[in-house]
Amino acid sequence: MTRMTQPVRTPAITRADRKTTDDLDGGLTVSPADPGKRLWHFFISMRTGLALMLGLAVLGFIGTLLVQADPGLQGDRQAYAVWLETVRPKYGGWTGVFDALGLFSVFSSIWFRGIVVLLTMSLLACSVNRAPRLWKRAVHPRTNMSETFFAHAPLRASIATAADPGTALAEVQTAFRARHFRTIVNHDGDTIHLYADRFRWGPFGTVIAHLSLTLILAGALIGTAWGFRNNSLAVPVGSRVEVGYGTGMSIEAKSFTDSYYTNGSPSDFASDLVLYMDGVQVIAQTVRVNEPLRAGDVTFYQSFYGAAAVMTVADPTGRVVFDRGVPLEWATSDDKYRVGQIILPDAGLTAYVVGATSGEVDPRIKPGQMQIEVYRSGLEGEPIATEIISQGQPANIAELDFTFVRERQFTGLIVARDPGAVFVWIGAGLLVSGISLVFLFPGRRAWARIQRRPNGSSIQVGAIVRHDVTFRPDFQHLVDDIELALTGSSPT
Amino acid sequence: MFKMSQYSFIAGVISIGLALGCYVLAIVAARLARRRMVMTGAGGGGTIAVGRRGASNVAAYGTLLAYLGLVFISASILFRTIASGRGPFANMYEFTVAFAWGIVVMYVYFVRRYRQPALGLIALPIALALLLYAMTIPSAIDPLGPALQNNLLLSIHVAVAIVAYGTFSISFAAAILHLTGGETGRRGLPGRELLDEISYKAVVIGFPFLTLTIVLGAVWAEVAWARYWSWDPKETASLVTWLIYGSYLHARVIRGWRGQRAAWLLVVGFGAVLFTYFGNLFFGGLHSYSGLS
Ligand code: HEM
Repeated sequence: MTRMTQPVRTPAITRADRKTTDDLDGGLTVSPADPGKRLWHFFISMRTGLALMLGLAVLGFIGTLLVQADPGLQGDRQAYAVWLETVRPKYGGWTGVFDALGLFSVFSSIWFRGIVVLLTMSLLACSVNRAPRLWKRAVHPRTNMSETFFAHAPLRASIATAADPGTALAEVQTAFRARHFRTIVNHDGDTIHLYADRFRWGPFGTVIAHLSLTLILAGALIGTAWGFRNNSLAVPVGSRVEVGYGTGMSIEAKSFTDSYYTNGSPSDFASDLVLYMDGVQVIAQTVRVNEPLRAGDVTFYQSFYGAAAVMTVADPTGRVVFDRGVPLEWATSDDKYRVGQIILPDAGLTAYVVGATSGEVDPRIKPGQMQIEVYRSGLEGEPIATEIISQGQPANIAELDFTFVRERQFTGLIVARDPGAVFVWIGAGLLVSGISLVFLFPGRRAWARIQRRPNGSSIQVGAIVRHDVTFRPDFQHLVDDIELALTGSSPT
Repeated sequence: MFKMSQYSFIAGVISIGLALGCYVLAIVAARLARRRMVMTGAGGGGTIAVGRRGASNVAAYGTLLAYLGLVFISASILFRTIASGRGPFANMYEFTVAFAWGIVVMYVYFVRRYRQPALGLIALPIALALLLYAMTIPSAIDPLGPALQNNLLLSIHVAVAIVAYGTFSISFAAAILHLTGGETGRRGLPGRELLDEISYKAVVIGFPFLTLTIVLGAVWAEVAWARYWSWDPKETASLVTWLIYGSYLHARVIRGWRGQRAAWLLVVGFGAVLFTYFGNLFFGGLHSYSGLS
């Protein structure tokens, strides 16, 4: 008695039926004349969304294939030109082309930014377009469907029964309710319309997912606009260093330990840090590779380490003008020497402290020695004085007394403030929840129409299936149950 | 324990290899049966039935062997975890075995659910290739460098990725069958409608897991490298993968993109998965923990 048609795929439905199923398809077929509307339709079109996502994927792919210039090189034309020469052997004649197209910094290129902006607009437009309709669909769904719908719905069945319409309705409702569907009944003269849905809030997951993406992008933007980042804050053990960037913070390293496995590979790096805010101690914490120190939205990470020279400098009157560890944080290009810097603003001088790289045996600068080179601040060229000094023996260089007190380590920190990160994390959480919501709770909708017939009643059931493919077998079972209850025979 | 792990591994490789052999045999038998049907005409019904049943029996043995393979590989990973005292996800060997495991788990799940061992014709060779590749790379248990010591986060990050990659390999298998088979599944293959469904179901599981993988990766990057996103090539490659599967989800509801074109997106997507996975070997970057460089 049942006529359970094989599912027909959506293209088979005519335009008119699409309308009756209050379908939310972004793929519009008519293009209006009004340019504003055209633009709107451009942004809410799924094809636009698809093109933008694929465009972004292509740029990302380029970004993984081509060597990318360090973001720090941006704005430094000279350094960038030097860098470009280092990749020229690799890309040959293409180097100029790639450079002109911005492909060596794809993720800050005009293409990338353009697509991200369009994508954001498209995501917002889609959400604005869909959310009210989803709301309406969840709260005031359309209950009555026409003959055409039941004749063409992708999932459909018709059952003839000897039962009266009231009994038929009760059985249909029971079958839907057993599957946790909500049902709404609407009597329209002799015809009974029934609407049933399940997980009607599920589709809002798409809106959450789309909006959370814009939140993530906004967070990234806020981070770049109002955050800061210092990739190399070297703090000699026993010294305190200003953090800068208007934080009013300074950080002191009490100790630094590096540990190794027996095979020589590193096992742990740890710094005991003390953080001061406007000179007052606020936090003391051991910082490791995976355990940063967080103070508000400023975070300190363990990043690198090296040797430091504790130096004192006294002026001719004997007043000590410098007394601190100097991190030897730069290496010479041959990697034989490590270099640190002392700035002496009162004297208008800059001194470089040069030591042999640990493990290197250098004939000039021996262990326990440092070479001091003094320059006039701001002037390049020859040093005004250069001397090698030994630990604990003061030496008069450029009329100042320099003492190399002893060698210590410094710990290298990354300091970053990212006021946008919180939005990124909220967005990421919402993104995962939204996507899970869509897929774990796929919204399902079905309609039924019950009509009195001379020898009982006829029941038509129809449903649309768009993504949620498992609805198809479930629908079949539902129809079987109704059939069984009303006719006492289960169809094959 | 380490030895046990190695023995289970070998047993797993053999089981998967035999499973694959059974499937190939089943397909050949089915085709022969069909040819016989053509030759003998309508009167050859008996022969066909025998031929068909023989083929499906062989396929059933194949599926059993795939289960067995799963058990062995799981045991191998378990023994290794006990031997090393940490999550089994810290070098290229471990990633590779885990990837193969993910494919076999998902294959078993989908074959139980849809009864389409033809998927195994594509999915199992990938798993087998990964296992054989794992045999060629160093498998010693080395201590972890500082950045990898955040064990829980690392383990979850990789485990989640493995689920995503496993399901994507199933959608890839279905897409390949879709592109090579006919409308109703020529050559004893499942029909397109069903393959579409399988692909989509696989992506529906994989996509949230891939999203979670990237988010967890960002959390970890924030903790270990001071930055949730740094356009590291591996990160970027996983984003590209994510975008392709995202495109697929949208393409599926656009007229003109369903079916064939969507299947191509799944093929490209799986290409991106492999690129992300093996990317370590050629693009270095912060993720260069493979232990091979
Ligand atoms: C990276 C970007 C995007 C992601 C991750 C994303 C994610 C998703 C997900 C997970 C779904 C559910 C798919 C399903 O149920 O099978 C979805 C549906 C949808 N997305 Fe997106 N989306 C993105 C961009 C866009 C854009 C730019 C648009 C606007 C043109 C858009 C419009 C839609 C629409 C209209 C649906 C509902 C499809 C339907 O139910 O018919 N998406 N999106």
